[in-house]
Amino acid sequence: MAEYRVLLVDDEEEFVSALSERLTLRGIEVESALNGEEALARLVDKEFEVVILDVMMPGLSGLEVLRQIRSSHPNTQVILLTGHGSTREGIEGMRLGAFDYLIKPVDLEEMLAKMKEAAKTVRTG
Amino acid sequence: MPETVEELSRVKEIGFMGKVAASLSHEIKNTLAIINESVGLMGDLLQKDTPDDWPPYARLNDLMASIEEQVQRSADIVKRLNQFAHSMDKSLVDLDLNETVSQTVILAQRFATLRRVNLKKQLDSQPLPLQSDPFRLLYVIFGFIERAINDSPREAEVRVQTKRSGEMLQVTVTDRGTVEADDIRELLSASPSAEGEQGESDLALLARTTETLSGTIGVEQGDGGLNKVILSFPAPMPVV
Repeated sequence: MAEYRVLLVDDEEEFVSALSERLTLRGIEVESALNGEEALARLVDKEFEVVILDVMMPGLSGLEVLRQIRSSHPNTQVILLTGHGSTREGIEGMRLGAFDYLIKPVDLEEMLAKMKEAAKTVRTG
Repeated sequence: MPETVEELSRVKEIGFMGKVAASLSHEIKNTLAIINESVGLMGDLLQKDTPDDWPPYARLNDLMASIEEQVQRSADIVKRLNQFAHSMDKSLVDLDLNETVSQTVILAQRFATLRRVNLKKQLDSQPLPLQSDPFRLLYVIFGFIERAINDSPREAEVRVQTKRSGEMLQVTVTDRGTVEADDIRELLSASPSAEGEQGESDLALLARTTETLSGTIGVEQGDGGLNKVILSFPAPMPVV
């Protein structure tokens, strides 16, 4: 059984597909959504310890999705993905309650470490 | 803080440069992220201990195709960035208005996608030769397209058309936005101020820059709540 469940949210389908497969190969239970609305619907149906969330998506922005997750799923930790060169969006996200942020392209080992840490805080409360 | 209208115009133009550069570099980051994960996954699959279906040729082929596609996408984005940067080389050149509008629509596409607005273009079948400042022309056309996108509800259409009308070459931006044509006219004719709210003078500044390009702006209210902003520029006189 997987240690924790991850919801991966990004509008770049090939990114989502390759990263999901890499995480699955590492024994992590992963589901994906291609936009914010789909992600919020998925969270209603199932509990995830960690959400990996792209900041810049068509429709609901990542920061808006983050706000909604923080208010309706306080036990879910959110790690933001930003394509921006600066850290401004990531810091803004942390101010809104994100657990942490990563800048694209991501280092998988760094992402795994952050996800593990985020899931641990969920389990220990 | 800009103190004069000229300074404010300059700040807006620099802001436009920054906005386009940030959007394109963000897109490149996305392509790099896909390449990064695809290469990583190829490595993972080749190290996997599954003798039955090893090596997984079909998946590896898919991933290689994806990488090729993302490299091409990156090259297209860099080309756009390069063309945009070169628009600042000279302040007066011979250009084709159709090409400038195509370039602007491509630059604005990502902003439309993020707001889930359908951006369409319809170009005159003939080239529309014009002598103008390529950067400021891009800036002005982009500004009006951006206004239309930002005023449009989700899934609405913003259409950009070019045509020759007598001695004038025209760019028409049509939207079904929430702002009335009268309000657009009022904002265009306002005196730009360096002091008001942020963004308050944007249309007035665009009108001013259009004027420096010898252009005029017409605003029409079409059927069914359509707004049409028509930019007209004088076609150069034919050399006899």
